[in-house]
Amino acid sequence: MSKRGFAKEAEEEVRAMNDTQTDLQGDLLVILRHGPHGSSLLREGLDMALVAAAFGRRVSLLFMGTGCTALVSGQGQGPLGQKGTQATLNMLEMYDIETLLVESEAMHALGLKACDLSLPVIEVSPAQIQAAMTTHRLVATF
Amino acid sequence: MNLHTLNRSPADSRVYQQTLQAMGHDDQLLLIEDGVQGALPQLVRYFEDVEGRVYALKEDLEARGLLGLCADNVHVVDVDGFIELTEQADKTITWY
Repeated sequence: MSKRGFAKEAEEEVRAMNDTQTDLQGDLLVILRHGPHGSSLLREGLDMALVAAAFGRRVSLLFMGTGCTALVSGQGQGPLGQKGTQATLNMLEMYDIETLLVESEAMHALGLKACDLSLPVIEVSPAQIQAAMTTHRLVATF
Repeated sequence: MNLHTLNRSPADSRVYQQTLQAMGHDDQLLLIEDGVQGALPQLVRYFEDVEGRVYALKEDLEARGLLGLCADNVHVVDVDGFIELTEQADKTITWY
């Protein structure tokens, strides 16, 4: 590709990033890096998000790594009847938590597509993840 | 500028990849607890993308006998230095 082509592509990427950045602002970014059932981290992260939202904070969720599996459709109870997290996910909309970001690279690594997930998501690049870190006042990792 | 703390060794855990992915161009990385293993010359290459912005906590290095084995391009800071880094940063982001 020509130098000019590269420059144009970079420019477009920056523009796309700026467009997304305006969407990505908020008070709290909760990063969820674990799937359901294996540990309590996903539940704890979602609980924090709901509590913050209940207090009127603008909350965004970022699913990174295996955390992307938290959104896969058709989740159920554990084999011993342990509660899953699907019910909590269904409550997000009621709490106005609508910015659901998923790490694009992780989705690819896990072989997941947006259509495999139970909620509408925005796939984000590393640059957009970095931007989200600065456009949210607080960042919590789970 | 944000400060990222990482408490897992890059030899054991791939969390460091998430940390690097989330780091902006002027963010700083502080290795703590088992994370200080990442300051060893053989492991510090995992952090080459953020070279010059990697710190390791002296107390955790000392406890593990690693203080003398640190790579030259890692800044060693004690707990007071840790506090200074948090003061300079807009916020601190934890990776574990």
